[in-house]
Amino acid sequence: MMHSLIQLSIIVLLLPLLSFVVLIFFNRRLPRMGDFVGVGLLGTAFAISCSIFWTVIVQHYDPAFRVAWDFTWLDFGNVPGVGPLVVKMGIVIDNLTAIMLAMVTLISLLVHLYSTGYMAGDKNYGRFFAYLGIFTFSMLGIVLSDNLFSIYMFWELVGLSSYLLIGFYFEKDSAADAQKKAFLTNRVGDIGMWLGILILYSQFHTFGYQEIFQNIAAGKFTLSNGWLTAAGILLFFGCVGKSAQFPLHVWLPDAMEGPTPVSALIHAATMVAAGVYFVGRIFVILTPDALHYIAFIGAVTAFMSATIAITQHDIKRVLAYSTVSQLGYMVMGLGVGAYSAALFHLLTHAFFKACLFLGSGAIIHAMHHEQDMRWMGGLRKNMPWTFATFSIATLALAGLPLTSGFMSKDAILAGALAFANVEGGGIFYLIPVLGFGSAMMTAFYMGRQVWLVFFGESRTHLKPADEHHDEHGHDAHASHGHDDHGHDEHGAHHGVHEVGWVMRAPLVILATLSTFFVFSTDPLDGAKGWFMHLVPTPSTVVKSAEAPKAAALAVTGGRLLAEASTDTAHPAVVAGHAEAVHGAAAEGHGPVFTDPRQAELAHEAHANHYTAIYLSSGMLVLGIGLALIVYAFKMIDPARTAEAIRPLYLYSFNKWYWDEIYDATLIKGSMLLSRSLAWFDSNVVDGIVNGVGTVYRKIAFANGSFDKYVVDGLVNFTAFFVQTSGAVMRKIQTGKVQTYLVMVMVAVLGYFAVYLIQLMK
Amino acid sequence: MEMFTAIGLNHFLTISAILFSLGMYAVMTRKNAIVILMGVELIMNAANINFLTFSKYNGGMEGVMISLFVIVLAAAEAAVALAIVINIFKTFKTVDVSSVDTMKE
Repeated sequence: MMHSLIQLSIIVLLLPLLSFVVLIFFNRRLPRMGDFVGVGLLGTAFAISCSIFWTVIVQHYDPAFRVAWDFTWLDFGNVPGVGPLVVKMGIVIDNLTAIMLAMVTLISLLVHLYSTGYMAGDKNYGRFFAYLGIFTFSMLGIVLSDNLFSIYMFWELVGLSSYLLIGFYFEKDSAADAQKKAFLTNRVGDIGMWLGILILYSQFHTFGYQEIFQNIAAGKFTLSNGWLTAAGILLFFGCVGKSAQFPLHVWLPDAMEGPTPVSALIHAATMVAAGVYFVGRIFVILTPDALHYIAFIGAVTAFMSATIAITQHDIKRVLAYSTVSQLGYMVMGLGVGAYSAALFHLLTHAFFKACLFLGSGAIIHAMHHEQDMRWMGGLRKNMPWTFATFSIATLALAGLPLTSGFMSKDAILAGALAFANVEGGGIFYLIPVLGFGSAMMTAFYMGRQVWLVFFGESRTHLKPADEHHDEHGHDAHASHGHDDHGHDEHGAHHGVHEVGWVMRAPLVILATLSTFFVFSTDPLDGAKGWFMHLVPTPSTVVKSAEAPKAAALAVTGGRLLAEASTDTAHPAVVAGHAEAVHGAAAEGHGPVFTDPRQAELAHEAHANHYTAIYLSSGMLVLGIGLALIVYAFKMIDPARTAEAIRPLYLYSFNKWYWDEIYDATLIKGSMLLSRSLAWFDSNVVDGIVNGVGTVYRKIAFANGSFDKYVVDGLVNFTAFFVQTSGAVMRKIQTGKVQTYLVMVMVAVLGYFAVYLIQLMK
Repeated sequence: MEMFTAIGLNHFLTISAILFSLGMYAVMTRKNAIVILMGVELIMNAANINFLTFSKYNGGMEGVMISLFVIVLAAAEAAVALAIVINIFKTFKTVDVSSVDTMKE
């Protein structure tokens, strides 16, 4: 008998698919193009997810909670050269799944609700909801999958649905380009992911996470450790593509061509989270080498996109780079071993970034599709609700204490510091340095954004007239209802007003979820919250070749304990003391690491908790202070500063020239390859074909000549001979009696002559 | 008789050959159908002379008999030939044999 949670989760999974099927076929026949179907089904899915969440998180409250169910989907038997090939499909529900289910369905529901306002009047209104449905279905599939095969399928489905949604305004070239770019960039990562899956499958003949983990733990991985590292890094490539990590981050900012609710759903809260979620799922098989690689990629991504976000003018583009930066944080967190913190950040980030995107959507909606922050300003009076929620989410993103972002980001940074300490190498300090640097820049660019958008005076009239038309329609569509307000309202925000309740309510809900009390009672320490208790860092199944310097600790302590739950279990124990760790370990609470490296990381992370808080708060003050100095008090003129460091400014403004680099190398390169292949095709291949054709033509020509001259010649000669001789003979037959008589005479005389000659002999 | 012994077989045959040749010449060269008919008569008489000559020198009567037949046949032949000539004239309005060449077709 199937567990009731499994049954419920299957219903949750299928409801958005139902929404897709109904809407894609019947949206034109339904009243209101069927938006109520999407919202209603997602509402139901969310309600069921809540009940799952309630059962798993609130009632069980057990870090080890796990329910799984699978069935054999395809059985190919014993395939020659491969071995037994059985593909199973299954569902696993643990704490992380339950949380992700609730998060995805909640944000999807809010985005559905918001879209009823934002997308109103669009000619493809119904299709939009259908796409949202298939997207939510694929994302839930990723969350619920219990094996690499099905997650790969849903992974590709997510890629497809993001393709459809990014190119929703496919009449625009920029949107069509963006959707292609997103799809192709993702494919690059997916190839790596598939190769990683194949490495693991070739070893264990199974796709299931649990079987793979157990096999590796049992030491059944027969290849060298290098192969396991390779498998981990290849699987991580999937995340690099989907979660927009360096160097495949280029698609995400362009994906802002999609409607803004899509940006909120896909490019902030869920789709890009899939990559981080997936790395979390396979976390235990990642070798230290693979983790180092992941950590560096994450740190570089976080830093790079933060520097880019500083100079962008487009409100959504700033948020897009901020998303890339935060995803870099999460990946870095996973890389440094701060698993819980990274996934915690995934959750908190989903809420406040969705809030930011929906808020920016509200601004864009109210500003008649103006996206350039240079021409905004002073909106706080016109849009108080948006201003309040946007500010809360901004502070959460910047990491102000009392917000959710503070707790998760701080935990990641503490993990990064711990990682650098444990590894002990100079180069590894680069990771926390990049992390804190990005935190400072995050505070700066978010401060800049809030100030430019909401404070000061309106700058709409400053916009050059010629630019007005170019930028108009960036997120617009011809049939939009609000367009009849006209675009000649320069000067005062005559047309700017607060958005309606369907768009305001999601903002309020998401802003509420961006505060600390949702996740933890202690605003300074996320580790005391329920999330980090329920999603503890799992013990790695990879046997590390050499233990770092804490091996001694592990030996004396026997089994070490992550402090994550120690403090809740023993409030009296002062955090960070090794003795407390040992004491708690003896009582057997919380996750226990058999791997000395992990144990030391957990220990160090806790020890560095307050260092991280001080440092990140310092960075926050620095960043916001700088933003205020530049934009509020105008003590530094940004334009002149940009001029002074023009090369750096241009480097950031042009996004580190990644698009140009890719254009010059990969795109030009593949174009060159294509052209040379085309040349090969048209010259060599066609040449061979044409050569064969020519040879046959020549043979046929010779054949034809033979036929024409020899065979026909014979026939014609015969005819000619007959004709000629006939013509000659005809002359004899003159029809005149006398001629005939002459002939007779000649003949008779001839006979006589012959006779006489004979006679004379 | 002496005179006849001076005139031998060869003289008769020569006369006959000359007659034949004249007839033949007339048949071959004349255009008038009537003249051709006359040439034919010459040829037949040349043959008659041969019959009579050989009959005389052979001592039998067969040659005389055959020449009588030939004379009769010549009369019949002349009748038929003249009838043909009349028909030719009726058809072609001429007795010029060189312009009558419908046998060519």
